[in-house]
Amino acid sequence: MLDFNNVTYSYPGGEPALNGISFHISDGEQIGLIGANGAGKSTLMKAALGLIGVQGTITACGLQMNKQNLSQIRKHLGYVLQNSDNQMFMPTVIEDMIFGPVNYGMSREEAEKVADKTLAQLGMEHLRDRHNHRMSGGEKRMAAIATILAMEPKLMLMDEPSAALDPRNRRILIDMLNQLPVTKIIASHDLDMILETCDRVILINDGQIVADGDTLTVLSNKTLLENNNLELPFCLAGIPMKKRPKMQ
Amino acid sequence: MHRLAPLAKLLLTMLYILVTVSFNKYDITGLFVMVLFPVVGYQFSFIPIRTCFYKLRIVMPLVCAVGLFNPFFDKNILFYVGNIGFSGGVISMVTLMMKGIFCLMASFLLVATTRIEEICRALRQLHFPKMLTSLLLLTYRYISVLLDEVSVMTVAYHLRAPGQKGIHVSAWGSFLGQLILRSMDRAENLYDSMLLRGFHGEFTYAEGRNSSRHGAIVFICCAILIMLVRLYNLPAILTSLFI
Ligand SMILES: Nc1ncnc2c1ncn2[C@@H]1O[C@H](COP(=O)(O)OP(=O)(O)OP(=O)(O)O)[C@@H](O)[C@H]1O
Ligand SMILES: [Mg+2]
Repeated sequence: MLDFNNVTYSYPGGEPALNGISFHISDGEQIGLIGANGAGKSTLMKAALGLIGVQGTITACGLQMNKQNLSQIRKHLGYVLQNSDNQMFMPTVIEDMIFGPVNYGMSREEAEKVADKTLAQLGMEHLRDRHNHRMSGGEKRMAAIATILAMEPKLMLMDEPSAALDPRNRRILIDMLNQLPVTKIIASHDLDMILETCDRVILINDGQIVADGDTLTVLSNKTLLENNNLELPFCLAGIPMKKRPKMQ
Repeated sequence: MHRLAPLAKLLLTMLYILVTVSFNKYDITGLFVMVLFPVVGYQFSFIPIRTCFYKLRIVMPLVCAVGLFNPFFDKNILFYVGNIGFSGGVISMVTLMMKGIFCLMASFLLVATTRIEEICRALRQLHFPKMLTSLLLLTYRYISVLLDEVSVMTVAYHLRAPGQKGIHVSAWGSFLGQLILRSMDRAENLYDSMLLRGFHGEFTYAEGRNSSRHGAIVFICCAILIMLVRLYNLPAILTSLFI
């Protein structure tokens, strides 16, 4: 499904943000991508989408990433950006949702049907005709996720999908992700969500893969996580509370 | 007006502007009749004309300033009212201003009653190049991006500089620089996410309201009226009828 072979990338005039990354993801795998701030998660996703030109080879959906194959590949990829403000460009949510499918040749009615179904699944029909710039942060996030789901991609890349969501919407998102059979790569600091949704975790630090393995194995390794500026997920660490003076 | 098909509205507006501009620069009476169309249009769309002048308060004076120098160049006296002679320059200045204002009023009416997507779609139906319509649409989109950034940054500035009016001169440079960088970043990100969803240089526009019979009749009547006003000097005919 997705292959990285010794991929390296540096932003203009900077240190390498990706440094010799190699991995293989097969069909149907659910991957959690974790790492501290600035570790290179978002950069890795951009590379997978062909948004940045990297050294090394990337193969997606059986096609090598290059100029000719780019639009072929992108047809099958869905990308939820870290900042949803940058994702939505049509005036209303529904317009945004049908933008992708229509561009790929679906008829408008069909696209609207798919969009309405997706909205119903996410329990957000009330946002259908809302203006994109007149929503709360979390509503924008849900809408952004909906626009990608409406494209019915084969490989979903999600950058911090649960950030800014309230607990109920986070729960809806997790349930939905678990029902969705497509291959997913989820970059997140919400390790509990990763634990619930992914079967494999890739841990990166300074643009290099530090660990790659079964979710529970990696996420319960306290020393490994702490060496990479992370912590045990709450559910494994026990829920910490603010220390308060004892009530008399 | 709100119910008229976008294509009809666009065509009418274009016709109106063409006709208005084509009036002779001394034909003040003929031109004057043209004011009726926008005025009636505003009535039918329940938009107060005041709103138009208020929203366009910055552009209007600029348009009016265009003819300001005509009186100095063209000093031929055309006619007298009492003792005061009106030179060709004054007349042409007034007609130029009127043309500008009328055209602005008509364009505003179009924009106020039609969404930008509908206008772009209508333009595409007229076989305007897709480059142009996409450009129009994106400009419109990105203006809001730019304004967003401006408002976010001014709020951030004022939160840390309480009690200051405006932005201090010393911060202008970095403020502007940041603004440009951020807007470019955002524009790039937005464009990326458009590409990722299969954008290939052409927006697909929502099926607009298509012309009904009713709309077609209104359209044809308006078009004929506009042409009549252009071809015959109605005020002159009316006066000659009654005098
Ligand atoms: N546009 C950019 N220009 C230059 N350097 C950048 C740019 N974006 C990111 N970087 C740098 O690249 C490195 C990796 O950034 P990246 O955005 O991939 O991190 P991340 O893992 O997504 O972090 P976070 O968890 O905060 O989202 C960082 O050191 C960052 O400073
Ligand atoms: Mg990131």
